[in-house]
Amino acid sequence: MDVIVCIKRVPEVAEVDLQVDPTGKGIKEGDLVFSLNDWDNYAVEEAVRIKEKHGGTVTAITVGPEESEDVLRRALALGADEAVRVTDQKMHGSDGYAIAKILAAVIKDMPYDVILTGVQADDDGYGQVGATLAELLGIPHATLVTAMEIGEKRAKVHRELEGGMEEALECALPALFTIQSGINEPRYVSIMGIRKVAKKEIKVLDLTTAGLSPEDVGTVGSMSLIERIFPPPVGEGAEMLTGSPDAVATTVTDIFVKGGVI
Amino acid sequence: MDFLEKYELSACLQCGKCTGGCPVALRAPLNIRSLMREVLLGGEPESVLEHPELWDCTTCATCTLRCPRGLNPSEFIVGLRAELIEGGRVPKTIIDALEGTYKHGNPWGRARQKRIEWKEGLEVKIIPDEGEAEWLYFIGCAPSYDPRLQGVPRTLCRMLDAAGVSFGILGTKESCCGNEIRRMGEEGLFEELMEENTSHFRSSGATNIVTTSPHCFNVFGNEYDLNGFQVYHYTQLLSGLIKEGKVDLPHTVQKKVVYHDPCFLGKQNGVFDPPREVLRAIPGIELIEFERSRERSLCCEGGGGRMWVEGTGEGERNSEIRVRDAHAMGADVIATACPFCLLTLEDGAKTTGLEEQVFIKDILELVAEAMGFDHE
Amino acid sequence: MVLMEHRQGELREISLEMLAKGQELAEKQQAELTAVLLGTGVDSLAADIKRLCHRTLVLEDERLTHFNSEPYQDVLAALIEERKPSLVLIGHTAFGMDLAPALATAGGIPLATDCYEIEVKDDAIVPYRQMYGGKMCTEVHLREAPCTMITVRSGSFPAEGLREINGAIEAVPFAFEKDYSYKKFIQYLEAVVGEVDITQADIIVSVGRGIGGPEHLPVAEELADLLGGVVACSRPVADKQWLPKERQVGTSGKTVKPKFYVALGISGAFQHLAGMQNATTIIAINKDAKAPIFGVADYGIVDDLFKAVPAIVEKLRERKGT
Repeated sequence: MDVIVCIKRVPEVAEVDLQVDPTGKGIKEGDLVFSLNDWDNYAVEEAVRIKEKHGGTVTAITVGPEESEDVLRRALALGADEAVRVTDQKMHGSDGYAIAKILAAVIKDMPYDVILTGVQADDDGYGQVGATLAELLGIPHATLVTAMEIGEKRAKVHRELEGGMEEALECALPALFTIQSGINEPRYVSIMGIRKVAKKEIKVLDLTTAGLSPEDVGTVGSMSLIERIFPPPVGEGAEMLTGSPDAVATTVTDIFVKGGVI
Repeated sequence: MDFLEKYELSACLQCGKCTGGCPVALRAPLNIRSLMREVLLGGEPESVLEHPELWDCTTCATCTLRCPRGLNPSEFIVGLRAELIEGGRVPKTIIDALEGTYKHGNPWGRARQKRIEWKEGLEVKIIPDEGEAEWLYFIGCAPSYDPRLQGVPRTLCRMLDAAGVSFGILGTKESCCGNEIRRMGEEGLFEELMEENTSHFRSSGATNIVTTSPHCFNVFGNEYDLNGFQVYHYTQLLSGLIKEGKVDLPHTVQKKVVYHDPCFLGKQNGVFDPPREVLRAIPGIELIEFERSRERSLCCEGGGGRMWVEGTGEGERNSEIRVRDAHAMGADVIATACPFCLLTLEDGAKTTGLEEQVFIKDILELVAEAMGFDHE
Repeated sequence: MVLMEHRQGELREISLEMLAKGQELAEKQQAELTAVLLGTGVDSLAADIKRLCHRTLVLEDERLTHFNSEPYQDVLAALIEERKPSLVLIGHTAFGMDLAPALATAGGIPLATDCYEIEVKDDAIVPYRQMYGGKMCTEVHLREAPCTMITVRSGSFPAEGLREINGAIEAVPFAFEKDYSYKKFIQYLEAVVGEVDITQADIIVSVGRGIGGPEHLPVAEELADLLGGVVACSRPVADKQWLPKERQVGTSGKTVKPKFYVALGISGAFQHLAGMQNATTIIAINKDAKAPIFGVADYGIVDDLFKAVPAIVEKLRERKGT
């Protein structure tokens, strides 16, 4: 079973106050801590489990500059066998569609039974690369996968629907699955574990060696771009709701309706 | 090195003094004597790794202190944990604490940028950037980020200022001291933290380090290689300043106070008297003692990674026992000098429903009252 | 063109939300609003939908009974090519996330996902979406193309003020050529009762010591049920075994990131906050105005939870019509 996992290096923004950068189209990244996208962490763990159960290899791929090698090393420490980084100046500014094109160009000549990606990325939350990549490669896909059983030629998966419900389906292999968080419990990767794989070779490809042309990638090859980024209108601390229990209840109900809960 | 060799397992008498003194052994299946024997017979640590109670150990080191053969069962547990860590088989909450420390420099996973929010409104020097100082005050992760604890470093800073002590802090360059990290088995991460902190200590220009937490005090004094630095816990510095007459405690604090010796300050490092000296210097305090005090202090179960993992045991927690005992003695306050003891004992006060009768306070909170500081 | 989403015979709310926004956009652009309804046995749904748009395209086929991105993609691709809509709206749901990127790629259609707002500026469609877990908003520029696609975030556009347009229903033919056995729907799986993983819940009603005792838990459970959520707790509650440990939120419990976190009688001790501070919307109810939970909450209510919660439950019931 050869598995390819596509991963992304993203900033951790949980508690940080984000600021718009001078271009107005991005955020200031100076103080941010970067790490492996949460969903991809589950995907790599799932890939390694498939290998442990069925044998084969796990290859981790990312598109990004040298700093992205951090996430590839983490994947190697988690149990991936090979790591590939695709990079080129011209790739800067690529949207999900362009990234999928890049990945497709690299993956189409590799042997694989299963491709895994995370459902979406912590930074843009687009959820586009997985299904787009599957379409470009001409293989079936299933998103939001919460359970996976790999057979010889087919895989049975569960997909997460709304309201706690799930659906079960079957896909012929090779196929691509986008992995939902909670599918497994990723193992811990220790510092020593990462040190052990520090010397492992990471294959680096650029535009030419990936078989792409400049028009395919970057802002030129993208179909969506950020025109402007801005913070949402925000209040100071908790908005305190006052008034009679009845009035407060009405406000709270409105909040839930607006949030699509009711 | 071979596991058997490293922990000298063949020298173990199997006398059971370790398990006999273990503060968690009554409630949890943790039996160190038995674990040592299992590994000795099996030859490999593998056989004992399926024991979830390995994470119950608080690393209070009572076992090590009692061992008649001078062995180190506490370190043996840490060694087993290190095996689990390398295999990735670790409780999720521990993973979160370790990854939080790796990424953000603290096991709570809080943003590094926010590490100095506690000092808002106070004039506290960051060294060496903002000047020079003789003392480096190492705040620690919990007091930096937890609103319940932030008053403690605030009080210490104000008090040091009032006493004319030249001090500074590392600011956002301060990272977790690593005491708990190493004891959870993450040796690699501990080494990185130690390297980083040591390098910042060396470039700070200070010659003395004072800590809020006994955990930081323990690891800097015993496990970091800090030649050229003197390491103190704040109670030692404060007791000295009081004796020199540099600290004014004008207000009376009319309370019956029992002092709880933190394991990492008391039994492990022999610092029993300075905290008591500080408490006795506060006018109005009637200081009483637990039966289990000083070397025999009952571990609160906050150390060794226990802040991030529930014990496997059932029944009354040690913190609850401590609070009930204090209440039975008529104490108004349990005073302690450790942030983890404080948080854990307060939990105990809540679950026993005694939080309105027995208050848990850091010694510095009582000092603040005696100095007339607004304590928030 | 708006793709209707339905499951097990019921039209999902997102469909109406998209029709509402669709009506507004169609009017602004002086275009027609077309709804697409695929499935089997959808007559009654079609009847409801046709009132709200200019044209309802219906295709009934066995292959479309349960949502499957493959046949849906082929049908929609053909409809898009034939009818040439300038904008296609699909819900950003389990359905839409599986379908939209593949469909957009196959047709070379620019796509913006999970959008909370759509504006018309100089005759161009301008979508807005959030990034960084909601900490930033972005105005998206889609490449100029005859057709663009947007997946819509649930709850962004209220399904109200819908005009009665009363268009026609049109049955559309489609010649299926492919054998879709390479992606086959097997069955639905209902959530297993009794096995609650709070980390996977979108909505959490969490109780602290303020709940007073296990006999009062029904107050929280009622609210949770109405909201379609689960009950969780802070450590003291789990310690006292009023709720099983798997429900505990905090540093030595679970870390949760739900869309809504309602904290009842929870003071907000640090170790608890660490487990839930990244929830999207936090509503806190506590008698103590100084409770630290209010520092991380989005909305705060200083009141006795036993007064506040029943009032909320009543209003929710009214709104739900139950």
